Formats: sequence, structure tokens, C-alpha cells
Amino acid sequence: MNQSTLIRLSEASVGYNGTPVLAGVDLEITRGSFVGVLGANGSGKSTLLKTIVGILPVLKGRLESPVRRPRFGYVPQRDTLDAVYPLTAFEVALMGTYGRLGSLSFVRKEMRERTLEALAEVRAEGLANRLFAELSGGERQRVLIARALAAEPECLVLDEPVAGIDQATVEVIMDLTSSLHERGGLTVLMVNHHILSLRGRAEEIVWISERGLVCGPADLMLSKEKIEEMLLAGGG
Amino acid sequence: MDTLLEMFSPEFLLRHAFYASLVIGCVAPLVGVYLILRRLVFLGVALPQISAAGIAFAYLLHTVGVHLYPHQEEEQFMALTGSVLFVGVALITLATLERRGRGLVEGRVGVAYAAAAAASILFVSANPYGESTLLSLLRGEVLGLSLSQFWATIVVYGGIALCMLVLQKEFTFVSFDREMAMTLGKNVAAWDLGLYLLIGLAIAFGVMTVGPLLIFGFLVIPPLAARQITRGMWPFSIAASFIGGASALIGFYLSLRWDLPLGPTDVAVACVILALVAGAKTIRDLLRRA
Repeated sequence: MNQSTLIRLSEASVGYNGTPVLAGVDLEITRGSFVGVLGANGSGKSTLLKTIVGILPVLKGRLESPVRRPRFGYVPQRDTLDAVYPLTAFEVALMGTYGRLGSLSFVRKEMRERTLEALAEVRAEGLANRLFAELSGGERQRVLIARALAAEPECLVLDEPVAGIDQATVEVIMDLTSSLHERGGLTVLMVNHHILSLRGRAEEIVWISERGLVCGPADLMLSKEKIEEMLLAGGG
Repeated sequence: MDTLLEMFSPEFLLRHAFYASLVIGCVAPLVGVYLILRRLVFLGVALPQISAAGIAFAYLLHTVGVHLYPHQEEEQFMALTGSVLFVGVALITLATLERRGRGLVEGRVGVAYAAAAAASILFVSANPYGESTLLSLLRGEVLGLSLSQFWATIVVYGGIALCMLVLQKEFTFVSFDREMAMTLGKNVAAWDLGLYLLIGLAIAFGVMTVGPLLIFGFLVIPPLAARQITRGMWPFSIAASFIGGASALIGFYLSLRWDLPLGPTDVAVACVILALVAGAKTIRDLLRRA
């Protein structure tokens, strides 16, 4: 494993409660890359992502990093967060800094400043004092990306960030993610149902189909012929 | 006004009962906030009933000659032990089953409630002696609070309040988004356990002091009222605590003034506050739209 590798899965089985969803996974994420993950509903895209970020254990095989486990900025599916919480957008974004806090420690001034910077980076500073539950889908997504950025991540991991969002907002979220990747050299790993929105943005594609994981450069994987081939192979 | 001044007088005969109900009124909503946010209100109904079953069981043991503590107030301490043990075992069992993902959460909590309610009545009916004492305890006769019970309540509830305030960000984080918390290296299971322990302790002690009805009322109604008028976790928790404290204060006053039973009066006051807050919010929303 060379130093440009951020994380690598070798012969890995991933799944829930001991039951594999994907088996024999070999996947390497390179530092500074933008990787799009595609596949049909229930194919195991989110399971793969959750295993990489450490939410789920690897059932079999290995998950390795060259030096230490990278810092991840995780953006979950928006609908998994309960609207009953009376949290402001700022409070939600501030949670990204909690990884640097020990228990019984209070939030420091620089963490608040970093949170405001992260909100500004995604052009959501004006949402800071609004209730998270009252934001639109696109606004919530920007706040969740700000929260991930507040964690000062080496890799931004997004699970279906544009699901259920109108096309104009899809473009805004995708452009925003691209610019974070290009400006800061941030590694991006994104599960996405909008195949075409990854075109021109992602550099590598991981396509999960009935044949298993098929990886390749985005130019090739998002060509018309390849998309048809993968869709016929049960990949979407 | 005289009644109110009397309540705050150092010579007030029921001052221990008054201050204990005020403290529980302020602190229980800080715990109840998480029952609402985690959608565990059913647990807030079942646990006080389970605690009551523990108290009834301890009294039954005491009556048949089992003695755990060699001092004058043994009955009270045995009851407290029963309450804490029953709530602890119930919480561990329910949390374990939840982690294994077996069956319906609501179903399990419902069965626990029904079983505890039945057990409470059976334990009381099997007890040939202390039935009246026990029934008054289960109703929550805070007016008969002993000095040692008063200080125990102050210390335990003071500790719970401190934990809820200092650890608020962790409890909120793992409750709101446990997956994100895991990616940042938080031990979610340990934080869950800590929160459940505090909930269990608050209920076990609260039921001993003010009874299952009032503890459930204080856990649930003030946070529901506060949620409608606040934004942000700190304002939410503080407002819930304030509404709980105000309910306890007004309830005690009304109870003293018109000789009403304290527990139901406190709950009725909390419900009136909830209705007023909901009404005011509806009017404000209508005016904004207009």
C-alpha cells in the first residue's frame, strides 16, 4: 500500500448483523480523488460507505490505511435525521467539531469560529440561527456538508446527498462538492443515484452490480455504452 | 399571597416536601427532554410503573421478614432498593432487546407496563399489613417526606441535573445522529448506557418521592410545552426545566390553598401551561400568516 492510498478494502465482506451484503470486496480509495459510487437500490452502496467510515465492522477481510485511520466527514442520508429535535443549523454544524472534544470538555471559541467558516464555505451562514427541521432539503444538505467540513476531514463521505432534491438544487450541491474537492484537494466519496450529475465531477466510479464491484475512470464508466451495460447487469 | 409567603418561610412545616417537589419539577424535565427527542414517551409511562412494582415488592419482602438494612428507616431504604433494582433490570433488558432488534419496541414497552401494573397490584394485595402505607407511597405522598429522604432527593437530583447539563452535547449528539457520532470515534453504546442510567435513577428516586403519576407528568409535559416555543437545545432544556419548576410551585400553592391532592394538581397545572403555550403558538402562527 503506497502513501497515496487513503484506505483499502481487501477481500472484505460488508453487511449487517453478521450477514454479508457484499462479499470479496477489493477497493482502494486514493488521496485527493473524487469517487462516485453507483448501484441499484439495496445493492449495498450505503453498507459499503458505512463500513469504510467505521459505522459497521468489516465482517471478513481487511480494511487498512497506510498510517492511521483517516478523519472522515460523514454526510448521512438527510431523512435519517429526526425533525423532532429543536436544533438550530449552527448547533447541527457544530457537532462536526465534537470529534476533537474530550468528554466533559466545553465547546471552545475556535470551534465555534470553525463552524461558522464551514457554514460560510457552503454558503449557509445565513441559515445558522434557523431551526434545522424547518430548512428545505437543499438547505439541510448544505448544513450537513458544513458539519462534515467542521470535522476538518481528510475524506468527505456523502450518502445520497441529492436524493429527493429538485434538479436546480442538485446542481448547486454537486458544484459545491466539486469545488471543495478542487480547491482543497479534499478526497470525496459519494453515493449517488443521479448518474449524470457525476459526469464531469467524479474522477473514478465504483459501480455495484450483480457482477460485484466494477471500478474504473469516470470517463469510461459514465460513457453511454457502459451505463447501458451496467444497467442491464442490474447496476441501477 | 400569604400562602405563598408561608411556603417560602423557613418555619414552614412542609418545607421539605415543597423544596423536594420543586427540585424534581425542575430536574425531571431535563431528563424527559430525551424521552421526547428519542421518541421514548412510552418508556416514560412504563418505567415509573416498573419502579412502583419494585417498591411494592420490597414492602412485601419486608412484611414477610426479609431485612436488608439494620436501621429505623429500613422500610424506605428497602423500597428504594426495590425501585432502583426493578428499573435497572427493566432498562438493561429493554436496551439489550433493542440492540438485538427483536420485535416491536412499543410492544415490549407495553408488555413491561402491563406486567408491572399487574405485579404492583398483586404485591400490594399479597401484603397483609402495610397496604395503606404502601398505597400512599405509590400515590406519591411527598408531604410525608422524611429528612433523610429529602436530602437523598436533593443529592441525587442535584447530581442528575449536573450530569444532564455538563453532558448535554454528548447526549444530544448520540441521540440525534449516532452514525456521525460513531465516525467521530464516540462510544455510542456507553453514552446510551449513561443516559439510560440517569433516566432510571431519576425515575426510581422520583417515584419514591412524588409517585409514578407525577414523575411521568414532570418527565413529559414540560418538554412538550418547551419544544413549541424554543429553538436550540439549551433554550429547550432550560425552558422545560422552568416550566416543570413553575408547575411544581403553582401546584403546591393550589394544593395548599384549596386542600387538593398534590400530584394530580401539579400534573393539571403542567397540562394547563401546555395548553396555554400551544394556544399562544397557534395564534402567533395565524397572525404571521395573516
